[in-house]
Amino acid sequence: MNAHRTPSLERQRRRAAWLFLLPMLVVLAGVAGWPLVRTVFFSFTDATLGTLDGFRGVGLDNYLWLMRDPVWWRAVWNTLLFTVVSVAVETALGLGIALILNAHLPGRGLLRAAVLIPWAIPTVVSAQMWGWMFHDLYGVVNAILLGIGLIAEPRAWTADPDLALPVVIAVDVWKSTPFMALLILAALQMLPRDLYEAARVDGVHPVKVFFRVTLPLIRPALMVAVLFRTLDALRVFDLMYVLTGNSRSTMSMSVYARQYLIDFQDVGYGSAAATVLVLVLAAATVLAVTLGRVRVDAGG
Amino acid sequence: MAGVTLRGVRKSFGRIEVIHGVDLEVADGEFVAFVGPSGCGKSTLLRLIAGLEEPSAGDLFIGGVRVNDRPPAARGIAMVFQSYALYPHMTAYQNMAFGLTLSRTDKRTIEERVRAAARLLRIEELLDRKPRDLSGGQRQRVAIGRAIVREPQVFLFDEPLSNLDAGLRVQMRLEIARLKADLRATMIYVTHDQVEAMTLADRIVVLNAGRVEQAGTPLELYHHPRNRFVAGFIGSPAMNALDVVSEGRADGAVRVWLPGGVPLEVPVDGAAPPAGTRLTLGVRPEHVGVTDGGAGLVATVTAVERLGGETHCHVALEDGQRLLVRRDGDRPVTAGERLRLNLRGETAHLFGPDGQRL
Repeated sequence: MNAHRTPSLERQRRRAAWLFLLPMLVVLAGVAGWPLVRTVFFSFTDATLGTLDGFRGVGLDNYLWLMRDPVWWRAVWNTLLFTVVSVAVETALGLGIALILNAHLPGRGLLRAAVLIPWAIPTVVSAQMWGWMFHDLYGVVNAILLGIGLIAEPRAWTADPDLALPVVIAVDVWKSTPFMALLILAALQMLPRDLYEAARVDGVHPVKVFFRVTLPLIRPALMVAVLFRTLDALRVFDLMYVLTGNSRSTMSMSVYARQYLIDFQDVGYGSAAATVLVLVLAAATVLAVTLGRVRVDAGG
Repeated sequence: MAGVTLRGVRKSFGRIEVIHGVDLEVADGEFVAFVGPSGCGKSTLLRLIAGLEEPSAGDLFIGGVRVNDRPPAARGIAMVFQSYALYPHMTAYQNMAFGLTLSRTDKRTIEERVRAAARLLRIEELLDRKPRDLSGGQRQRVAIGRAIVREPQVFLFDEPLSNLDAGLRVQMRLEIARLKADLRATMIYVTHDQVEAMTLADRIVVLNAGRVEQAGTPLELYHHPRNRFVAGFIGSPAMNALDVVSEGRADGAVRVWLPGGVPLEVPVDGAAPPAGTRLTLGVRPEHVGVTDGGAGLVATVTAVERLGGETHCHVALEDGQRLLVRRDGDRPVTAGERLRLNLRGETAHLFGPDGQRL
């Protein structure tokens, strides 16, 4: 009966499509689906690293503890602050760099490649590199600032609770601005030159052209870039861990979850933190996608 | 309103000169078309007038004022782009008003001007739509409307119809002709389509490789092309070119031998070339007659193209030279048939070895 309704060519195509999708689905289920399900499962238990076989369900206890832990809330605050500030600065800087790279400068091919270098370096490596540069005794940052007289005595950049988070944000900006710049540059290069000539004939001031023409037209690409960076920033781990270890002043949600999972071997509690992090990421994605679309329709 | 004057205008990109000294006078209220093949410099010339490019040498006057150093917005011009160049995120109204809203024109004036332009272009009901919701012809109208609201002294059109399909192009051509009558503004119109130039322009400027080949009214160019390039470019289908041999001068005309030993006397203005010079005879397909018998060029029909209203006969002469003959639509003619062609000296053109008309 089904054979009558669906033409055989169509069935063949569907079968082929599923066949092509299958390897990817298996891999995804294996590396993402299964660990996620296990993490959520463990978050309702009192499992520890040593007793992964013998544990009992504790219901929502882990979550209740999490909600009552000021260190967790500090980690949430750190993560949000880090995300908002670093993504905002990266967007502004990236936009500026993209606009410069988009101008017809001599040697801009080389410039474009050079800008990409920070992005190409693995985060752990660049974090370690910056860790040395910010070192309180031998670091080049202190040497330079002392040399030009901006500070009177060496600062403990990564240890000082007031300075650590700004330092982490600065390193992230250094690393991720190229990514922003390149995504925005790609969007800029899609814009037709005619529009700018029409604006010149109309006598529109370049600054107004930027805000009234360029910005609205690259906004879809800008939103995607901001969303990517936001999701990346919300689950930040390596920068903090390499630069400041488990210090509370910079601890992110990921660092918190890892500390409980590995250092304290409390798999149940750590899983609960990790699960909340996943929920926050999901919420941010939904929020960004829906808000982004609404704004595109309202203004665009 | 104002005229446009170009004096010795040159333009180089790097070391390559693309405009080799153009002198041109466009009168106030005149519609001038720049035509020529791709890369002839017609668009560059228009962009020089607009101020989107700077001339490497020469002077540019609009309304008697030298505008070389003025930005596009201060030249009293408006431009309609080939791609329309509409802002995709703005409505038709916003597109048309954009230039005015930023030049401190008050809201009432803007509204009046946009509505008036929309009425003229019959797009009043489309003003709230964005470009992506408009058809090609409608976008073109919005683009023209944006030019109109600026109330320019000179309108510049850069191949405005080349992105439209054939039917719409004819319709928009008539619209532009109507606008020309309504606005009475100076208009400079770039196109590679000689039909557009012939039908719209008061005067046509034929450009080739950065030089003005000839400037004149459409019929001047059609009847008195100055050289082989203009002769081949103006008129559709294109003028036939036959290799002939001069026999010398005879009473204000040059006598030439056509293939097959048929003589023809063609009136010329200039001096006759010495006997034996190889010349090119230009005859338009519509000027090739067919006789029922007797004297004439013997030709064999190689292909017949029927367009309904007319028939294009491709024929080969005895020495193998090819010719296009335009005949009535229903004329019975088949490939392989032999015809006797009748050329008249008055409708033929003679070009010397250098391509210049004699």
